[in-house]
Amino acid sequence: MNDDRVSAPVPAPLRLHEAVVQPAWVDYNRHMSESCYLLAFGDNADAFFRYIGIDAEYRAEGHSLYTVETHLHHRREVSEGESLSMTLRVLDHDAKRVHVFHEMFLGDSDELVATAEQMLVHVDSRAGRAVAMPRAVGVRLESIRRAHAELVLPEVVGRPMGINRA
Amino acid sequence: MDEPQTPFSTYRTEVRTEWLDYNGHMHDASYAVVLSDANETVFAALGLSLDYRASAGASFYTVECHLRYLAECSLGDLLSASTTMVAADAKKIRLYTELIHADGRTAATGDSLYLHVDTELGATAPMPADRHRRVQDMLSAHARLERPAHLGLGVGAARAGSVST
Repeated sequence: MNDDRVSAPVPAPLRLHEAVVQPAWVDYNRHMSESCYLLAFGDNADAFFRYIGIDAEYRAEGHSLYTVETHLHHRREVSEGESLSMTLRVLDHDAKRVHVFHEMFLGDSDELVATAEQMLVHVDSRAGRAVAMPRAVGVRLESIRRAHAELVLPEVVGRPMGINRA
Repeated sequence: MDEPQTPFSTYRTEVRTEWLDYNGHMHDASYAVVLSDANETVFAALGLSLDYRASAGASFYTVECHLRYLAECSLGDLLSASTTMVAADAKKIRLYTELIHADGRTAATGDSLYLHVDTELGATAPMPADRHRRVQDMLSAHARLERPAHLGLGVGAARAGSVST
C-alpha cells in the first residue's frame, strides 16, 4: 500500500465512484431496474476496496471481501442517461468484517436516489472461510472509520424493515 | 381460486454465465435478479403479472430490499425459491423469499417491500379489488408459517453480535 495514502486526510464521506445509467440497466418502464442499483453500489464497493488496498492483485493471492448482507432503500427512480454519484462511509469494522453505508445521488446534486447498508467479510477464497484482514488494511480501515465517525448517522442505518401504517 | 401455495414455491432456475462475477461465483446483483424473477412468479399467481401491470398502467416499485448472502452459487447450480407473504395491504406487498440449493442449503434470503404504483399518476394506488382479495387470501394462508428469527432485523443483527464490541 502507498504510504502517502495512509497519512493523507480521509475524505468524509469517501467519493470514489460516478456512473451513468446504461441502456442495459433500464427496464420496460425505462427506469433503472432493481438489480442494477446493486451493480452500481458494487462498483462503488470495488472502488472502496482498491482505496484500502484490496485490488485484483490482492484477490489473485487468494483473499477478497465478500458481501454477506445488503439493505437497500430506494428514494426515487432514475432513467437512462442520468448521471449518478456515490459516497461511502465506514460505520464499523473488526478483524474480519467491515460495515459500510453507500449513498447514491442524482448527478452532483444532493438529491438522494438510493442507499445501501452492507456487511462485508474478508475471506480466504480458496478455503471458503472468513479470515482476519492483514494489519495494514485494519489500520487503514480504522483511520477511515475515525474520520467518518464525525458524520451524522443516517436514520435508516440498522433500521429493520416494516410496513408503516398511516 | 385454489388455496394459495404455502409457502409459495414454484420458481426454479439454473445459474447462468452472465450472473457470475470475477470470482466465478454469482454476483451480488445477480441474486437480486433471481429473487426478483422468483417474486414475479408470486405476482403472476396473484393476477399481478407484468402483463397485468402493462395493461393496467401499474407497476411495482421496490422501496426497500434486504438481502442476506449465505452460500455461493456457481455455474449450473440449480436453485429453487420459497416465498412467504409477510405483510400486505391494498397498496403494499412484503415478500420474504429464500433461494435454496438443490442440496437444501439456503443460498440467500431477500425481504422486499413493494408499492403498487399508478404509473400515470406517479403515485401509489390501491390494486383492483379482485387482486387485493387474492393477496389477502395468500396473506391469511401464510400467516400460519413460522417467521425466521432474523426477519425484520437490521444489518449485522443476525450474526453473533454486532461488529462493535
